Amino acid sequence: MNTSALKTQNHENVRSETTEAAAPDGKPGWETPQMEDVSEQVMAQPYIRFT
Amino acid sequence: MPGADLLAPFRIDALKAPLFVSWQITRDCDLSCLHCCTGSAPGKRLPDELNAEEALRVAQDLILHEVPYVMLCGGEPLVVPHFQALAQRLGNAGVQLKIETNGQLLDAAIVARLTRLPVRSVQISLDGDTQAIYARQRPGASLLKAHTACRSVCDAQLPLEVTFAPTRFNIHEARAVIDRAVSLGAFRFNTGQLMRIGTAARQWAKLAPRPDEYQRFLKTLQDSSRVVGNPGIELCYQPFSVTDALRGSLKEPPATLLVLPNGWVKVAAALPHICADLRRHTLAESWVRYRAAWRDLAVIAALRSAIEDESRHADANAWQMIPTYN
Repeated sequence: MNTSALKTQNHENVRSETTEAAAPDGKPGWETPQMEDVSEQVMAQPYIRFT
Repeated sequence: MPGADLLAPFRIDALKAPLFVSWQITRDCDLSCLHCCTGSAPGKRLPDELNAEEALRVAQDLILHEVPYVMLCGGEPLVVPHFQALAQRLGNAGVQLKIETNGQLLDAAIVARLTRLPVRSVQISLDGDTQAIYARQRPGASLLKAHTACRSVCDAQLPLEVTFAPTRFNIHEARAVIDRAVSLGAFRFNTGQLMRIGTAARQWAKLAPRPDEYQRFLKTLQDSSRVVGNPGIELCYQPFSVTDALRGSLKEPPATLLVLPNGWVKVAAALPHICADLRRHTLAESWVRYRAAWRDLAVIAALRSAIEDESRHADANAWQMIPTYN
């Protein structure tokens, strides 16, 4: 795997997705987070569960 | 190899914002607990913590992006002058709240104000069932105050969670604390392996339970699960260790943001890596950077290193912006 190429690719993604995320409608197909999706698994991260 | 497929979609890729934000609003605290994973203590407020105006602006951004659930923690969140304003701004906009406190300052007046907000959990630490053991781990703290705070929460019909950080000092009182949590009316008891971060990392040789102590502790939890059962208290202790959680996160990164008192966003509690700064980045930008961080090769290497050797978690509070993210 070409590490530097992948890093570059990642950070190009950061820039382009930032623009899309900032658009009023958000990226097409993105889901709005819902309380119902906050599962026990989400809350079981030790830093949440127990500090 | 976990996380090796960098192109495989994660759950977080489909979400436009995090499901949950854990927001450490200060490093200041009224206690100096030996096991503290954030290194909080009296006078430890960071010089660059978000002020009230900045914190409320971040809160507004969380509301704008429809984050459903936010935890306000610290340090001790109740020592922050703008705690109430922050909780009200979020709660009045419909954001569900979790408040994590040591309970020393949680009086009936604060509880009464919280009842007007959508509070899903007030989490209070009970690290012992006798004053001597509790105060050994939390010097200067009053177990009576913590119990009184728990009762105030339940009397106000707010949901109470109890958390227990096991150390060599208190692990033998685990069963008594579970029983206490049940009698106080808690709906959940949280515990797990002590995290080797912050003050706990510096005190590790003195604090960390031995393997045989952890074995007995786990048996206590398993036995208690059977005795307590549903619809009694929920015992929450898996993943047991931060390392176990990191393994799971490599496969499916959590849809959560960990926000530090200065507005920086951490990739994972056990890593020092910072992926965003809420003073400079909107929540949408920070979320994009967080998602990208889980495919960053330096972050993945650090995660694997942290999984291999728990002692490396001790560096987690020496925060560093991921170099290519500056």
